[in-house]
Amino acid sequence: MKSSKLWFSVFVFPILFAFIIVVIIPMFMGIYYSFTDWNGIVNDANWVGLSNYVEVIKNDEAFMNSFIFTGKFALVSVLTINLIGFGLALLVTRNSKLNNLLRSIFFMPNLIGGLILGFVWQFIFTKTFDSIGGKLGLSFLEGWLSTTSTGFWGLVILMSWQLSGYMMIIYIAALQSIPDSLKEAAKIDGANAIQRLKNITIPLVAPAFTVGLFLTLSNSFKLFDQNLSLTNGGPHNSTQMLSLNIYKTAFTFNKFGLAQAKAVIFLITVAVITLTQIYYSKKREVEM
Amino acid sequence: MKSSKKFLAVGILILFLFATALAACTTETSKDKVEDKTKAVEDSKDSETSKDTAIEVDIFQFKVEIAKELEAAAREYEKTHPNVKINIQTVGGGDDYGAALRAKFQSGNEPDIYNVGGPQDVKDWMKKLEDLSDQPWVDLALDGILSGVTVEDKIYALPFNIEGYGFVYNKAIFKDAGIDASKIVDFASLESAVKELDKKIKSGELKDKYPLLEAVFEYAAKETWVTGLHTSNSALSQEFTSSLEAFSADKVEFKYGDALKEIIDLQVNYSSNSDSKAKLNAVDYATQVDEGIAIERVAIVQQGNWIYGGVSKIDENVAKNLDILPMPIKGAKEDSIPVGVPMYWAVNKSSNDADKKAAKDFLNWLYTSDTGKDYVVNKFFFIPPLKGYDGLEPKDSLGKAVKRYANEGKTMPWVFMGYPTGWGQEVLGVEIQKYLAGEVTWEEVISNCTAKWTEMR
Repeated sequence: MKSSKLWFSVFVFPILFAFIIVVIIPMFMGIYYSFTDWNGIVNDANWVGLSNYVEVIKNDEAFMNSFIFTGKFALVSVLTINLIGFGLALLVTRNSKLNNLLRSIFFMPNLIGGLILGFVWQFIFTKTFDSIGGKLGLSFLEGWLSTTSTGFWGLVILMSWQLSGYMMIIYIAALQSIPDSLKEAAKIDGANAIQRLKNITIPLVAPAFTVGLFLTLSNSFKLFDQNLSLTNGGPHNSTQMLSLNIYKTAFTFNKFGLAQAKAVIFLITVAVITLTQIYYSKKREVEM
Repeated sequence: MKSSKKFLAVGILILFLFATALAACTTETSKDKVEDKTKAVEDSKDSETSKDTAIEVDIFQFKVEIAKELEAAAREYEKTHPNVKINIQTVGGGDDYGAALRAKFQSGNEPDIYNVGGPQDVKDWMKKLEDLSDQPWVDLALDGILSGVTVEDKIYALPFNIEGYGFVYNKAIFKDAGIDASKIVDFASLESAVKELDKKIKSGELKDKYPLLEAVFEYAAKETWVTGLHTSNSALSQEFTSSLEAFSADKVEFKYGDALKEIIDLQVNYSSNSDSKAKLNAVDYATQVDEGIAIERVAIVQQGNWIYGGVSKIDENVAKNLDILPMPIKGAKEDSIPVGVPMYWAVNKSSNDADKKAAKDFLNWLYTSDTGKDYVVNKFFFIPPLKGYDGLEPKDSLGKAVKRYANEGKTMPWVFMGYPTGWGQEVLGVEIQKYLAGEVTWEEVISNCTAKWTEMR
């Protein structure tokens, strides 16, 4: 008993130490700075109380716009990423020789860094789409990323393309853990493919949905590099998501205190949303 | 199923072994390195005791284009000053440099020489700026060029160079279209020239010689510095006489707001996206320059002498044929181009005295000694900000053009350094994008930007 306690602390201490140094302490420092007018250069921050928070909530229209935009984006991309991911997982768990190859191919986009992906897709949207649209006379393919809605869908496409492979891996693991006997029994009872999917597969992969929804939701909210490189908030800052807005407040407008206040609000929002989501999806999980 | 799990276990085991082995390797090598380093330090200590103590000057600068050449200049300087070692670090881009510099200072690893961009930066960094008023180059500075970094008669930074921008045009296309560029001296003559050229492009007259030519202008509205800083400067520099005046102004009037609109509309209406203006919001620098003027797809772009290097890499003949037309503001200066200093060198006040002395001496050497001057003009391709560079003329077509305007006195100042932080790009540039997208009228652009200026001051 005693030695197991010793070993427990031996293993936990280093990581706990690192966690406190790089996460907990900076977080509290950040919360402190959100009550100051720090400009990020010299350490002469003055205490300004809650005025940063008041400023954000009352006057900052741009922040509210990015809040709404981020919310919309998160909603749509959570749906598309998980649907595509689950669909791909169903596809590659069927008996086929190509399974392993397909899995690697679908997973591949996830291995490329977000910044590079953003630039690659920027080229696809603004150049490739445009020339295809021009040649075939499809006007909706022209001028991508130059309007708010194309910027929005551009981001959704990019993120779905990148993340659904990752979600696929999670769903594959869950799908493979479903015993074949259950499916066979249902088949013998006369359930068709859709009924089997609805009544057997989906309830049994519910734990994976919890994880998948959590990951996509928090990733979509915190999205930064893809946003920066694909649209950089343009046109006219209408596709600027929360992280980018915070970054610009800090590094373009030199208002670190205000940016910290936004970051704290952001942190609380993301925490509330994801925890609620986890609570509700956990309730749906069934034990085998 | 079972076998795949076994595979996984074995795979993880192998990976783990690999990782530990690698980790072991790296620790060994790093140990070696440390030993080498201490040895090196000891060696150098031995050799240095004979001279003075070693002085290290850390430079943190933003101009990527000169990174290599600056390194060479530093080595040259070290030859004559054996006790000084110069370390150069380069981080490019406007925003990125500012952020990186802050991070650098916050980390406690403060550089001795760094860059500041004008009155706002000088104010922000005041506690870290060494007074440079007693430096020999101060008396050599061109008229008015130090105004942006002068506070209470003290001078805090040395200008990098002079840059100028305007309507960069392709002389060959103008010649083949039969347009005499020397006659373009005001807005009316520019407009008529543009219209004539547009007619000739549309009628296909120039098709044989310039198969890619499709429009007169290309306007990079995605780059808010092109619209919000550079275009707007041509009008606002008529309202404020210097960046300092803009910096201390509580409000902006847009006295020449209509003329500004005309100069934007001219570029928009004769661009390749004139029929769907919103598309201009996706046009970036590369589309405007590399895939625009450099391949003779368009004849004029609003850019500056800094594009020369990029264009000449794509097509040297085009680069040689470039020249600059004035940026006419109706009812004000119509024959001039905006010329200014993009960035300044500053010395860190908190460095120790020996480092500061060496840092000042290096900057002085770079801009006033013969070797240094050669680097500045012929290797960095700078247009020098100081007097006393006789016989060293810029060699590229655009540098020559800027110099020509400067010599003739046909210049207007860069005042955008004095805009409130972020106002030019994030407010005005963004409003211009909205204007192009048809979401707001020009009157709303003006009223929104005026209100924001007052709010941000």
